[in-house]
Amino acid sequence: MLEDTAANGAAASMRNGVKIYGEGTAIVRALDGVSADFARGRFTAIMGPSGSGKSTLLHTLAGLDNLTEGTVHIGDTELGSLKDRELTILRREKVGFIFQAFNLIPTLNAEENITLPLSIAGKDPDEAWFNEVVSAVGLEDRLDHRPAELSGGEQQRVAAARALVTRPDIVFADEPSGNLDSKAEAELLAFMRRAVDDFSQTIVMVTHDPIAASYADRIVFLDDGDIVDEMVDPTVDSILEKMKHLGE
Amino acid sequence: MLRAALRGVIVNKLRLVLTALAIVIGVAFVAASFIFTDTINARFETLITDISAGVDVYVRPIPPETGNDLVEFGSIPDEILAQVKAVPGVRVAEGAVAGYAQFVGADGDPVGGLGPPTLGFSWTTTSDLNPMTIAPDNGRAPTGPGEVVSDLGTAETAGFGLGDTVTILTLGPPEQFEVVGLANFGSEDNLAGATTAAFELEEARRLFDLEGSYVEISVAAEEGVDAETLAADIDAATGGEFDVKTTEAANADQLSEIGEALGFLNTALLAFAAVAVFVGAFIIANTFRIIVAQRTRELALLRAIGATGGQVTRLVVIEALVVAVIASVIGVFGGIALALLLAALMNAIGFNLPEGPLTIAPRTVVIAMTVGIVVTVVAALLPARKAAKIPPVAAMHEELARTGRKPLRRRAAAGAVVTTGGVGLLLFGLFGSVANPLLLVGIGALVTFLGISILAPLAARPVASTIGWPLPLLFNITGLLAKENTARQPRRTASTASALMIGVALVVFVAIFAASIKSTINESIFDNFRADLNASSTNFQIGISPTFAEQLAELDEFDTVSSLVFDTASLEEGGTDIIVVDPLLAEEVVNLDPSPGAFAALESADGVVVSSTEMEDNGWVVGDTIVMGFPKEPETQMEILGTFGNADFGQYILNRDFYNTVYDNPFDSLVLATVAPGVDISEARVAADAIAEPYANVQIQNKDELVAEIEGQIDALLQLIFALLFLAIVIAILGITNTLALSIIERTREIGLLRAVGMTRRQTRRMVRWEGVIIALFGAVMGTGIGLFLGWAVVLALADEGLGSFAIPWGQIAVLVVASGVAGVVASIYPARKASRMNVLDAIAYE
Ligand SMILES: Nc1ncnc2c1ncn2[C@@H]1O[C@H](COP(=O)(O)OP(=O)(O)O)[C@@H](O)[C@H]1O
Ligand SMILES: [Mg+2]
Repeated sequence: MLEDTAANGAAASMRNGVKIYGEGTAIVRALDGVSADFARGRFTAIMGPSGSGKSTLLHTLAGLDNLTEGTVHIGDTELGSLKDRELTILRREKVGFIFQAFNLIPTLNAEENITLPLSIAGKDPDEAWFNEVVSAVGLEDRLDHRPAELSGGEQQRVAAARALVTRPDIVFADEPSGNLDSKAEAELLAFMRRAVDDFSQTIVMVTHDPIAASYADRIVFLDDGDIVDEMVDPTVDSILEKMKHLGE
Repeated sequence: MLRAALRGVIVNKLRLVLTALAIVIGVAFVAASFIFTDTINARFETLITDISAGVDVYVRPIPPETGNDLVEFGSIPDEILAQVKAVPGVRVAEGAVAGYAQFVGADGDPVGGLGPPTLGFSWTTTSDLNPMTIAPDNGRAPTGPGEVVSDLGTAETAGFGLGDTVTILTLGPPEQFEVVGLANFGSEDNLAGATTAAFELEEARRLFDLEGSYVEISVAAEEGVDAETLAADIDAATGGEFDVKTTEAANADQLSEIGEALGFLNTALLAFAAVAVFVGAFIIANTFRIIVAQRTRELALLRAIGATGGQVTRLVVIEALVVAVIASVIGVFGGIALALLLAALMNAIGFNLPEGPLTIAPRTVVIAMTVGIVVTVVAALLPARKAAKIPPVAAMHEELARTGRKPLRRRAAAGAVVTTGGVGLLLFGLFGSVANPLLLVGIGALVTFLGISILAPLAARPVASTIGWPLPLLFNITGLLAKENTARQPRRTASTASALMIGVALVVFVAIFAASIKSTINESIFDNFRADLNASSTNFQIGISPTFAEQLAELDEFDTVSSLVFDTASLEEGGTDIIVVDPLLAEEVVNLDPSPGAFAALESADGVVVSSTEMEDNGWVVGDTIVMGFPKEPETQMEILGTFGNADFGQYILNRDFYNTVYDNPFDSLVLATVAPGVDISEARVAADAIAEPYANVQIQNKDELVAEIEGQIDALLQLIFALLFLAIVIAILGITNTLALSIIERTREIGLLRAVGMTRRQTRRMVRWEGVIIALFGAVMGTGIGLFLGWAVVLALADEGLGSFAIPWGQIAVLVVASGVAGVVASIYPARKASRMNVLDAIAYE
């Protein structure tokens, strides 16, 4: 089912990923031999019960944490051999992040937060692209506000804009709408969908919410640190149906 | 509750260690100042008791009330000894003379003279009464002319031994003596660092110009005779003309004199202790404020499960108490070490203290511990009170805990009131007439610091933004973040910076004070002296032998040679500095700016020339008669013969011939000489140096050298003060480290996020480093401002005392500000490392 090379055209891939936490009897296999590819220009959702290893998968794919065994590629780059500095620069240039909370630097305004990865790299933003992203998230008139002056939904959209502003190879989102009301959630997810459809971005999103997952092209189901099922072009109903089966 | 508090101490131990260090240093200073002075007192007491062991009663001249009492000993006529011996109950009595005698070392330089005295006296032949003893193989007592006995300590330092010939300086020209014995004082090989030369009585009388008299008679009583009674009997027998005291009383007097001399040292040490404790209090308050803020949830939880606000306050106070007790105990031990260090330092600069154990009085421990504990607990009280106000719901919502800040307007009002009060006290101390101006100025300065530190948070945002403005341009986002981070917690930034502010302000103040003194001296030397060369004594207790000026005057190279004496006299309202001149020649060598005819009048009539300011202050006019007191003439009617304008050296001028009749001081303070026309100054100098050669304590200088020497002395003192103030700055730097480390922990998530989106470790370190630099510079800027004000006010206040010019050492201040920035970098090394090592996942984990 999966090609065994890194250069299979996927934006990110994992081969036989194992992540072990703790030692001795307190040992936890958070990832237990996961292999997966995340194709370019696609929106993939990762679902699974709490503690199934979703966040761990996301963190190891994104280069925020390393695997105990196995390999991860972002594009052609294998992460295991990279030093901290190289990994940091890879995150800065090739990867975008949207976390569940604490996404923004409180001392910087929305615009500065959006351009943060570019500023850190000492680069100027591509103005046209910046404007396009900002208007796509609908934040044109909030740019000089600090995070404390923005609503939760606006904050997450700022984070989404920041994730896209570098035109990364892949964006990782860990329950980005977890703290939002349904209207704000819909706005954020609609934007993420547009990023894939209109700007050909690649997104991998962890969620346990079937409505959020229904925005994706494909869903990967995780349980006990391993992929147990997959689903393409999901709808809310088909997801709920699948979850019922998996729960048995 | 106690257990919870103890747990808090253990959990926070790292940050508390830094805090505790601030307390340790303050307490150590307090303890050291008491231990040091107590120890010196105790050692001198032992020494003096040792020396006077065999003596029951001392008969001495009644000390003159004025004049330089190191020089003027007064005397007891020869026949008094017989009268004393005749008093019933006297077993044995012997008279002695004393005066100035200084050994010249093998290298030609005089031995000692910079600290402890250089003493000469007659050898006491009655061994019971003699403080000195000569061990069997150390020679014998002096028995005739040309023989001297020295103490073992001096012989060792100066490098001479038994049988050697040594040169000794006394009143007249230097003379050679054979060392016939080496003595010790009780168990010591020297007398508290003094150099001592003992001669046979008649030889000593000749050397000290005391023929036919004594300066002291020591008496031993017969068995069973009470010393008090005997002293009274002797006093009666000698007609009450002398100062007759039991050994006990005489020793007590001497000790209280030593105590007074040391009191200054004690005050100075305590002043530094006060600075260290005060700076420490800021750090402590800051640390506890941060600890309380960090533990909001925990404390709120305690409230939620039923702890009262008072219990939460107590929890924090108990934590402070535990830290205070531990730190104070360590501080007391630190004080012991510091006292030992001070003693070693004193020995190193030639001020030998008597040997003996350290005196650690219970009072010392109690005071030092109390200071440490009270200051810590008081400093922690404000944060502790705030902790009580945390609502229980804050256990669930962190944001709720951040309310309840004092409105800025109230802070501004409080700060303004305190600052005004402090400045008021300061100015009143400086310009008002109060009993203890120094204390008032000190307290005023501390209150001003407090007021400014209350106001500082208001300034933190704009000042930090101003100081930090180039950073975003230079370092992009890391610079911008550093700048914003310091501005976001103005309270914390300000109180951290305030600690540094105090140290910097004091350094700037001292630097200004010293620069102003230097510039004043420089101006006054060039304004005052008309002479080309001046000769002064390197021994501050003793002037220049009068024969020197006589010999110098005989040289053809010089036109005018005239000497000055600086001394003191008493007036109705107290003592005053006097200048003694040769009226005919003074104008040639020194610019005292006399009124026309004043010196001519002084030459022909006994009287005094008074400074114009003194005339004005007292409403006197020329021709008035005033009463002055001199050692030999306690109440003398003096006619005012004229006035003079330049009061840099003193307010009253006397004629040297008249001075010699009412004082017992033959020495010159300064010998001034103008070079004859057509003679090269350097040529004249060579000739003068040849005359000065045998007078080992005389040094010849031109004006530039004189200025350089005085500046050198001021600089040496300055370095000592800076070294002590440096401690305050070190405490402040620890405070910056502490604050930064704690903010880093608070900002774990933020830093993790920055790292996640691509900030390298290096950039992270740079960000924290610049935060440290901004805080440090903020403190340095405030400190410089206050220091400039303090310096200006104090120099202005001392303008009347002759501190004529106000000089700002901009170079030194610039160096200080840059050094503060560097200190900020040093302070942030540890927090910056910590930030860069932070685990990215910890930072973004969300429970
Ligand atoms: N830092 C860690 N140390 C120890 N165990 C961990 C750590 N992080 C996650 N785990 C464990 O690994 C498993 C997977 O965790 P996670 O990936 O966070 O699951 P999910 O995101 O699906 O809820 C869980 O059992 C969790 O307890
Ligand atoms: Mg998770």
